[in-house]
Amino acid sequence: MSQSTDALDRAIAQLHATSKSSSAYETGPMKVVGKGALRLDAVDKATGRIKYGQDLFDKKYRFAKVLRAAYPHAEIRGIDVRAAKKVPGVLAVLTHKDVTGTNLHGLIRRDQEVLCSHKVRYLGDAIAVVVARTEEVATAALAKIKVVYKPLPAVLTIEDALRPDAPKIHAEGNVLGEKHLRKGDAPKALREADVVVEDVIQTQTVDHAFLDLEAGRARYDGKMLTIEVSGQWLHEERRLIALALGLPLEKLRLIQPATGGAFGGREDISIQIYLGLAALKLKGQTVCLRYPRAESMIARHKRHPVRIHYKLGAKQDGTLVAAQVTFYVDKGAYASTGIAVMRKASSHATGPYKVPNVWVDVIGVFTNNNPCGAMRGFGATQTAIAYEGLMDRLAARLGMDKVDLRMKNLIRSGDAVTTGQVVPLATGVECFEAVLKRIDWKNRSYETPAPHLKRGYGVSVMCFGLGYGDGFPDASRAKCRLTDDGIVEVCSSGIDVGQGLTNMVAQIAAEEIGVPLEKIRPVLADTLLTPESGSTSATRQTYFTGSAVQLAASELKKQLQDIASAHLKELVYEIKIENGEAYNAFRPEQRLTLKELIREGRKRGFSLEATSVYKPPTMPEDTKTGQSMRAFVTYLFGSHACQLLVDTETGEVKVERYIACHDVGKAINPDQVIGQIQGGVAQGIGMALMEEVVMKDGKILNAGFTDYILPTIRDVPEIECIILENPDPGGPFGARGVGEPPLIATGPAVLSAIQDAIGKPVRVLPATPERIWRTINE
Amino acid sequence: MSARKTKNGGGLWPLRCTINGKKISRRVQPNQTLLDFLRLELGLTGTKGACLEGECGSCYVLVDGKPMNSCMMLVPQVQDRKVITIEGLAKGGHLDIVQQKFVECGAVQCGYCTPGLILAAKALLATNRHPTREEFLVGMEGNICRCTGYNTVLRACELAADEMGLKKK
Repeated sequence: MSQSTDALDRAIAQLHATSKSSSAYETGPMKVVGKGALRLDAVDKATGRIKYGQDLFDKKYRFAKVLRAAYPHAEIRGIDVRAAKKVPGVLAVLTHKDVTGTNLHGLIRRDQEVLCSHKVRYLGDAIAVVVARTEEVATAALAKIKVVYKPLPAVLTIEDALRPDAPKIHAEGNVLGEKHLRKGDAPKALREADVVVEDVIQTQTVDHAFLDLEAGRARYDGKMLTIEVSGQWLHEERRLIALALGLPLEKLRLIQPATGGAFGGREDISIQIYLGLAALKLKGQTVCLRYPRAESMIARHKRHPVRIHYKLGAKQDGTLVAAQVTFYVDKGAYASTGIAVMRKASSHATGPYKVPNVWVDVIGVFTNNNPCGAMRGFGATQTAIAYEGLMDRLAARLGMDKVDLRMKNLIRSGDAVTTGQVVPLATGVECFEAVLKRIDWKNRSYETPAPHLKRGYGVSVMCFGLGYGDGFPDASRAKCRLTDDGIVEVCSSGIDVGQGLTNMVAQIAAEEIGVPLEKIRPVLADTLLTPESGSTSATRQTYFTGSAVQLAASELKKQLQDIASAHLKELVYEIKIENGEAYNAFRPEQRLTLKELIREGRKRGFSLEATSVYKPPTMPEDTKTGQSMRAFVTYLFGSHACQLLVDTETGEVKVERYIACHDVGKAINPDQVIGQIQGGVAQGIGMALMEEVVMKDGKILNAGFTDYILPTIRDVPEIECIILENPDPGGPFGARGVGEPPLIATGPAVLSAIQDAIGKPVRVLPATPERIWRTINE
Repeated sequence: MSARKTKNGGGLWPLRCTINGKKISRRVQPNQTLLDFLRLELGLTGTKGACLEGECGSCYVLVDGKPMNSCMMLVPQVQDRKVITIEGLAKGGHLDIVQQKFVECGAVQCGYCTPGLILAAKALLATNRHPTREEFLVGMEGNICRCTGYNTVLRACELAADEMGLKKK
């Protein structure tokens, strides 16, 4: 049934050679960087040829299923698998007793059992893995496993969890940790402020809702356990799997299949260890596992719901003097990346605004809800909704234009953010001015077709510290290798989750070396073949892996220059490489082709490969004050404007116009930057208006797309993108990154516009029609 | 994999249909979804399962030209009908114009929703020679895309319509 692959390959080559991207953006004099080059994987995706995890299945393989907890909080008194083992077609029924390593995982704390031995803490906890000849048999056998529980009272809210007599979810108690930031004297400054506004904002639990369900396969051949599952940091996942299963790292290979979205949802381990365990038990057989949507939503971590108490003080002229903020973070059952999310919330507590006195407390509390962890924006998302909301409340109180209030308080280049870190190039003002000009702020119109329709305009400005920061080792590695066929292989473990990392590394390598894009072959994310490049998260891949690729490419280029210099007998610093050919800039007629360079290089003993590591340091934030001279390697700025209509009779919102401006340093591929901005805005509209995981008694009531409402093509307006390019000295060709900021800026802009339309803030997210209607009529 | 084994192979359905122009005649498990049948029995993995409850359009195939959620259909429901999957679009080494416009417009990011979106657009353009913006929205609102924000998707569809010479002057 397969189509003619050769013919299609020719068509792809022709398409890349003849078609131009339809981008409106093209910047700078460079040949490859700054161009909207077609995505290298787009044709394979548009024809259905590319293989995601589930596409690696075969009927001949073995199929696994996972037994989940029956209670959100319970002791396990016994597990009886005898009946399940007798089901015809069942090959193995595995419990904690079969796990030979620590049986623990978790990105920052190993606090979650792979297969629970004595206790379950949420309904997604796993108890057993069944492997059978078919998925249906495995499913049938799950029902035959008898688990004896002693149910414990479920702890479902932060208040319940903090009661002195609350049942302990973990032995050490229900508080995961706290994070503090102290700058100046906020209580005193608030007492002396001319105006103080105060509010409580509750954000919701959000699901990543990537479309490509958790799925993959594993095989153990007696020497190597190979696991093919989409993650976001293969080398860290390999470490976690090795610890849990008691394997040496060398016996474990992770390969990333094509990945259909991640958004932070693949940071925590998902099915990798179950698959590895099953494959180890069934040596020589390939084991597959896939989640249906409900299991995916029940098992996976979520975006933290956070209750934010925010007090903001200012002088009569609008100058901010103090902020006091407390974040109550529902961690759910396990730590996940929670501590890091909490730190991001605290270090971004006042966003891009100058506030001399700041007091922040963040407290993370365990409950028996779904664990919460990484999702695009990582704590900065919830925080921006709070500080921008408070800026709107303050402007209303002062009778000031909310734009003027923001402009007055935005940090400028050379000012410090909340952590005390000085930002040499702070372009929030530039971004803000660009969107205000585009929307023509002074001449905005409130005229609507009918009196029950109210128009509102919202704005937001955000800043975002890129990378892990806080002194955590943050490194990317890359390797560039020139093959005898004249192809430059660019190896890194960055992951193309859909954002376009493949083109990012390819375009940087092509530009740096001086070869056409079609001479670059990216080799990505296979622990046997590619060096560690950190996680694909924290908006860090362009900055970190992009830099590593540029460094390796530069080293390779130097070899080519040395070869040409020796062969042409010309000075090495006069040798140029362009379009794959080397020549002396002053005598361009004498040239060496790439083929000749390779042949000469081999003859002269050049390796024709180069490796690199890019590891810019940061400084830990002080544990008491949260202050650090360099908490993050660099900062990103952006600003959005939103125009919408609220139907005051129904509470429905129609977003009419949306403008997003981001300073990305340098757009390596402008089309992909626009793709990231528009996609982030769509997710932000989802979070602001409709998305919510509804939990009751520890159970998700809407574990499917019928009831978990996502934005469709009708909900997302045209998103006008403005790209600013103020180069960053630490990034490749000046690039910073763009992944998370567009989502962070969207919620605040939409909520700001709703408040403008109805005259009151919506304090609980998402701002559904019902909540808006109630806010109007309360 | 959702098919139930029946005793002595009894209860198998004698399927006759056309898939991507090829006639299929074989005995199949009648309770298997069309999605699993295409992917596991025929190896046509371009059709994607995502929500598995008919909400997101990732599993669209064209059944007699109409976009259908293959996760919600059982194999016998395509008896004597013509099915086109994403693999059936590129012909003779040439991408379909809708595929080409998706690639050129940057409408492909993670790519998981892409086959469904392309088939939705194909179905629309096959039946509506002059789609307005509103008609495009109606035609595409059954597809969820989590990456792009739909702007480039809409642009790709409109450019494809233009290039097919179908759009209203």
